[in-house]
Amino acid sequence: MNCESCKEKDAVVHLVDVSNNSKAELHLCKDCAESQGATIKSHMQKSNSPKVATDELPAIFQNLPGVSAASETETCGQCGTTYRQFRSSGKFGCPECYASFNVKVSDLLEKIHGRCEHRGKVPSNASEQVNQQKELQALYAELDSAVSGEDYERAAELRDEIQRHQEGSPGL
Amino acid sequence: MELSDLQASPGEWLGGTGPEADIVISSRIRLARNLAGYPFFSTADEQQLGELERMVRERLLNTCVSEGMGYFSMQTMPMLDRQFLVERHLISREHAFGKGARGVGLALDETVSIMVNEEDHLRIQGLCSGLQLREAWERVDAEDTRLESCLEFAFSAQFGYLTVCPTNAGTGLRASVMLHLPALVMTRQIDKVFQAVSKIGLIVRGLYGEGTQASGDFYQISNQSTLGKSETDIIETIEKVIPKIIEYEKTVRNNLMQQKHEVLEDKVWRAYGQLKHARMIASEETMEYLSSVRMGVSLGIIQEVKMDVINELFLFTQPAHLQKQNEIQLDETERDVVRASYIRKRLQGSD
Repeated sequence: MNCESCKEKDAVVHLVDVSNNSKAELHLCKDCAESQGATIKSHMQKSNSPKVATDELPAIFQNLPGVSAASETETCGQCGTTYRQFRSSGKFGCPECYASFNVKVSDLLEKIHGRCEHRGKVPSNASEQVNQQKELQALYAELDSAVSGEDYERAAELRDEIQRHQEGSPGL
Repeated sequence: MELSDLQASPGEWLGGTGPEADIVISSRIRLARNLAGYPFFSTADEQQLGELERMVRERLLNTCVSEGMGYFSMQTMPMLDRQFLVERHLISREHAFGKGARGVGLALDETVSIMVNEEDHLRIQGLCSGLQLREAWERVDAEDTRLESCLEFAFSAQFGYLTVCPTNAGTGLRASVMLHLPALVMTRQIDKVFQAVSKIGLIVRGLYGEGTQASGDFYQISNQSTLGKSETDIIETIEKVIPKIIEYEKTVRNNLMQQKHEVLEDKVWRAYGQLKHARMIASEETMEYLSSVRMGVSLGIIQEVKMDVINELFLFTQPAHLQKQNEIQLDETERDVVRASYIRKRLQGSD
């Protein structure tokens, strides 16, 4: 996919702004993203979690002029529950909400439980799914270090691999 | 199995046979589970809840639960029977009287119950007499593993079992120990227990769990955190603290025996007198007197009544139990009369 700004280089930063139930996407190359105020690094630092696609991170919006911050109107694509609704009821709408609000959920779980990583029983029939998630986790870790080392070529490869992985996996 | 099969006996968990049974009434483990691919109970519509309940019921009955388990749909169950199951601690109040398609799978010995469409799609509960959290966990774990073979649970490697409320995420495990602490209440030292347990991440609840008041000096100690620790680690934290609370209660009871013997004896015998002679007695009042008598029996002040009779009275004097025994709907005043008469009968001949 080409950068939507310069229309030449590969887009490596993918932004999705969900507000008022509408979704706006923006795909930028590294240079254009940087010129618009975002650095790939700051983006990637937020994205070390396996279930947050690079294009699902609200945090980066705050660094981009002209792109509004994803607020509590962020919506679960599966069941339509907004983060605001969750905040007022304390109840998620479906299992997918955990992935949809991943970053916020991690913070929240950390506050509630003091930890945010599961250490207990794993269902026997979930092993394939769990393995896929672990592979994704490893890819994200590699992506982080590629970005830190400014190896953007490798980062782009990894990003594509992560994307393929996510398309191929059945989700949560 | 039929619901009436449960009626005659008080259930294994109230048998008073478990370890430390004079202070620890029961140990309970519950697991919260949801099915992958279904909206949670909070957002599912009536049709989806109905489908889910039917599907789970079929699988429970056909393939995946232990032998001898019965299944009951809430919608077709009379209100009295629902209340009866609440009094037995086999289902929650919310489950008994909430909207939507709900059901419960029950083992005849009442050690396992599986609520379908409670807050989470499944709430698997194991209940044992006395201090036996490990045993309760083993039963629930086995049931959960059986269910896994025919149902796909919503699970993430990062967050564990995904639950409606994030306070249950991870293991989905709530371990509770129900304690009878009359001496700590009497001497107003119970607050110290609350403060101490809260420091190690445990919480105190009332007789019927979350949001309920303590009644008859019964308290439940449970874990607050469900994520980031293994099931056995969570259980261990509670297992370590319970003996200390038991010791505290026993020390206070002994101190009362030595230093305030008359006060203690007076309280116990007065309560016994009320129970033996009252012609009308309300539910709360009954709990209060039974609690004092229970302590009196435990300390040997009253020797003519056995502990299992007192344990049974706690259960059989509850409104739904009274009405089911008498096979008749009773209003509050009628219940008070029938309750007093039932208690007198059970305590008769013990003079």
